[in-house]
Amino acid sequence: MLRQLQARFGGPLAMAILGLLGIWLILLVTLPQLQMIDYSFRPNLLPDQRGGPEDGWTLGNYATLLNNEIHRVIFFKTLWSSVLVTLLTLAVSYPLAWYLAKVATPRQAALCILLLIIPFWINEILRTYAWFIILAFRGPLNEVLMMLGLIERPIRFLSGDAGVMVGMVYAYILFMVFPVYNAIESLDDNQVRAARDLGAGTIRTHRRIVIPHAKPGIATGCIMTFMLAAGSYAVPALLGSPGSRWFTQIIYNWFFEGGNWNQGAAYAFLLLVLCIGFMSLVMRFFKVGLGDIAK
Amino acid sequence: MDGSVRLDEVVMRFGDFTAIEKTTLEIGSGEFFSFLGPSGCGKTTLLNMISGFLTPTEGRVWIGDEAMGKVSVNRRPTAMIFQNLALFPLMTVFENIEFGLEVRGVDKRTRREASEKLLALVALEGSGPKQIGELSGGQKQRVAIARALAVEPRVLLLDEPLSALDLKLRQHMRAELKAIQRKTGITFIYITHDQGEALTMSDRVAVMSAGRIQQVADPMTLYRSPATGFVAAFVGENNRLETRVIEREGQRVRLDAGNLGELAGMAGETVILGNGDRAALFLRPEHLKPIGEGDAGPRLSATIEAVHFEGAWVMLETRLEASGEKLRVQLGHEVSRQYADSLDIGQRMTFGYDPADAVVLPDDGSPVLDEDTGEMVETEQRAMPDGGSHA
Ligand SMILES: Nc1ncnc2c1ncn2[C@@H]1O[C@H](COP(=O)(O)OP(=O)(O)OP(=O)(O)O)[C@@H](O)[C@H]1O
Ligand SMILES: [Mg+2]
Repeated sequence: MLRQLQARFGGPLAMAILGLLGIWLILLVTLPQLQMIDYSFRPNLLPDQRGGPEDGWTLGNYATLLNNEIHRVIFFKTLWSSVLVTLLTLAVSYPLAWYLAKVATPRQAALCILLLIIPFWINEILRTYAWFIILAFRGPLNEVLMMLGLIERPIRFLSGDAGVMVGMVYAYILFMVFPVYNAIESLDDNQVRAARDLGAGTIRTHRRIVIPHAKPGIATGCIMTFMLAAGSYAVPALLGSPGSRWFTQIIYNWFFEGGNWNQGAAYAFLLLVLCIGFMSLVMRFFKVGLGDIAK
Repeated sequence: MDGSVRLDEVVMRFGDFTAIEKTTLEIGSGEFFSFLGPSGCGKTTLLNMISGFLTPTEGRVWIGDEAMGKVSVNRRPTAMIFQNLALFPLMTVFENIEFGLEVRGVDKRTRREASEKLLALVALEGSGPKQIGELSGGQKQRVAIARALAVEPRVLLLDEPLSALDLKLRQHMRAELKAIQRKTGITFIYITHDQGEALTMSDRVAVMSAGRIQQVADPMTLYRSPATGFVAAFVGENNRLETRVIEREGQRVRLDAGNLGELAGMAGETVILGNGDRAALFLRPEHLKPIGEGDAGPRLSATIEAVHFEGAWVMLETRLEASGEKLRVQLGHEVSRQYADSLDIGQRMTFGYDPADAVVLPDDGSPVLDEDTGEMVETEQRAMPDGGSHA
């Protein structure tokens, strides 16, 4: 990378750019994170007790999760629900990405992409509130379903997992659609035609030709969606509470309601470890490396 | 196993644009049939209608005695070799070849036996476990052939499969393709814009231009008796002279070539030419010979402008004295040695030809091949014999 920069900007400027980048990474990313790690290993003390005999490194904050059954359940539920959100988003995004990349005319594709992006100009909270209204017990969705005679009595979508799922799939769909779309787009049309010509039906063509080719894109989309879902706060807070609680809400509570930053930091790191663990799992499953994803 | 293909008044339109004009054509089972034509004339479109990737706007496609109207791509008894081969890069050679069999639910052992046999057929024994990326261009070509043959198609469709290879390999693969076709007895439908390929391999060739089939014939007939000016210009090399008919006696036609005087040639029985009609006379470079003062027959005097020594023959670029038109002359080894002293730039020579070798066609204003640019141009844009010089 240094060589590329040097070729482009010349030696001194390249060093300056790298230097600034380094300062930014250290000052604004690494140091605060290290501070947080430090917090997470210390007990929560009153200001005058700091530096006293009780101040020292301990795993106590991490142990809290093991001892608190409710938190443990929510932790694993967050994990499981995020996986579910990821799979749901993939299920919705893959056909959409396929359509955009290989079926639609360029004009149709451009229009669809625009329609997908426009809602994202609106801030996440507002978008989520829109779903709050749509999914409400006496809201339009229930009305329509009842009018069509599909249900007899309104369904309680909100304050449960269903609402959270819908909201999150909607909130993160772009992060799945675009990497998958890019990957499918780069597939030579003749590959698909060759598979069909050799007798393969639609499902086999996708399973053997399209999906293997789109794997890096699918992995990227899954990782991003999972990270965003697991770290999401607004959607579960608005569409899920009180029935469905997310681990992020507990972290929030530790920081801002419990005032216990140490405990909050420990929980936040557990979530981070979880995400990294998931990421490496997905990468192993799809047999892709970091390099493939960065592409 | 009937691998005959019949196109029954097929038409293909894309919006307002007609890519294939109404075409009726029968290709026999086991035939090596080529479509030859310049880029954009509709060859791939025609092939796609046979393979099922395109549905004709009008008309029907038959394979054997089955109408293909409702038969989708993956159920047709055809296999395609794509212009870019379209091998599956994430699979091994074995997996590529066996893909079609896997689709058909053939068990693993049988599949492997079949692919080993096919690899032997295309002379690639032992390459089965290789990745596609490890193969050379010619080897990829062979894998593509094996993959297509694996599904035991009745008709193999080949879309300029050799265009990506270098000259040597291309010539080698021609012979190999022909041999494979003989061995398997499958109908080959071959698309190319390279006349050499079409002429050397095919039983019959359809010459196409702008969505229309100009002539269907065996290579020899195509070369000796082109049916249209387009075919005469596109297949092999031809000098084209614009003339008017003086008189026709049977096939033999006497022509008035303006400043060039009286010339003669042969018109096919079906060619309609009346006295005084405009006609194009086609003279192949290899049919022109230097002649002396006393020799009878048509005479064309020209000045040599360039001499290209090609080994087995010499190609002369000359300019006709009377009209200023270009005339290309190919002299065989013997003749060129005999005239070695006169083959110099600026030298004058007189050429003659046997009228039986010269083809006369109505000058229908169809596009002709411009020797200078290698592109097809409308006749109106060309200089007339008495109208000056080439640009
Ligand atoms: N899907 C399509 N939509 C509109 N026009 C098309 C389509 N496919 C082909 N054409 C047009 O039809 C004509 C014939 O195309 P085709 O691909 O059959 O040519 P070709 O003879 O195979 O040429 P080449 O030798 O360059 O491959 C071209 O003018 C092309 O622009
Ligand atoms: Mg083509």
